[in-house]
Amino acid sequence: MTTEELKETAEFISEYATCLLGSGVHTSRVLRNSTRICDALGVGIQMTTLSKTIVITVFDAHEGTSHTEVLSIPALPISFEYNADLSELSWDVYDNRMPLREIKERYREIVSRPKMSRYMILLLVGLANGAFCRLFNGAWGAVVIVVLATWLGVFVRQEMQKRKVNHFIVFIVSAFVASMFASLSLIPGWTPNTAIGTSVLFLIPGVPLINGIIDIIDGHTLTGVSRLINAMLLIICVAVGLSVPLLLFVKNLL
Amino acid sequence: MITDIIVDGLLAAVAAIGFGSFSYPPRRAFKYIGLLGAVGHALRYTLMAHAGLDIATSSFCASLCIGFLALLFGRMSRCPLTVLYIPALLPMIPGMYAYRSVFALVKLMQSLNDYAMSEKYINLFIVNMTVAVSVIFLLAVGATLVLFLFPNKAYTMTRRRQVA
Repeated sequence: MTTEELKETAEFISEYATCLLGSGVHTSRVLRNSTRICDALGVGIQMTTLSKTIVITVFDAHEGTSHTEVLSIPALPISFEYNADLSELSWDVYDNRMPLREIKERYREIVSRPKMSRYMILLLVGLANGAFCRLFNGAWGAVVIVVLATWLGVFVRQEMQKRKVNHFIVFIVSAFVASMFASLSLIPGWTPNTAIGTSVLFLIPGVPLINGIIDIIDGHTLTGVSRLINAMLLIICVAVGLSVPLLLFVKNLL
Repeated sequence: MITDIIVDGLLAAVAAIGFGSFSYPPRRAFKYIGLLGAVGHALRYTLMAHAGLDIATSSFCASLCIGFLALLFGRMSRCPLTVLYIPALLPMIPGMYAYRSVFALVKLMQSLNDYAMSEKYINLFIVNMTVAVSVIFLLAVGATLVLFLFPNKAYTMTRRRQVA
């Protein structure tokens, strides 16, 4: 492989790996997928992952050449679709031995696919939180209020994310809005504790929590701990937003 | 009793699909996510309500079961395991315990002058927090066990060509 080709390969692999890491894939899967593609292309790879950057060296053992890329990990929204389809791509490359140009084309095609509409997500998350409220034995009136509160909270979150507001602020404000709306259940007295408690649960960062634990057990302690710390901070933000209605209505909530 | 369990499963399926949609799962994964969420939560409900197990043990059993089923469904849907089981675990996150610990913290701050009351609220805070953290940890570990028990199976889910 020429130096130019090696450089091109390293650039593509680092883009592929940061895209996966940024969209919430646990570290050992990213390593396996990247190594698989490099195996198919006939080059070796060594990789270091930190919480915000990766360092990748791609080398050709026969020629004795190597190329190193350092790339920061973008803060993408979590996407299980990338996780599934980019993993599938790595196996297709491995089994069918396609040239780099074709791999790049397939990669571009996958990352440019349209995402699910935000209003569909809004609808589904609202219903999910309503179902959750019912699971905790909330009254049916409380379920309706929680669905409405969640729609409002998710809408606020989406609008703020679109304007690139700091994500800790996004979490505090969305938790505040949703739990304040859910406090309406105090007036008719429809299980207000369950309503307020479940109205903010759509904000719990479940994916980084579980990925963090997987990473730590896998031995990628640094990335795992940084994922967990990030998730903890977000949970504290949810608690801050939630504590406003609790402080206001604490006498009515015993 | 049977209807209770089925209703619990259906609600959990709605919750799993809805919370999962935040993480943009591929369309082909939705029905499996719903099914896994329903089976997991209904199993935990049954263990807690009818077998007398505590929330941590039954959560662990349920997540273990979700992990093994994900191994089966992953092959059918060509999805990595985590894509299927993380959304299915979300309805089991003990939200009410987390809520009660925040509530206890707020109450604690308001009763700092009353020793007996502040002792009561710090207790409530620690108990609820401990339950929430342990359950989340056990959920993650239970479902992830399959990843470590069958690494070769777990990492070939998305491969089209299967090697016997």
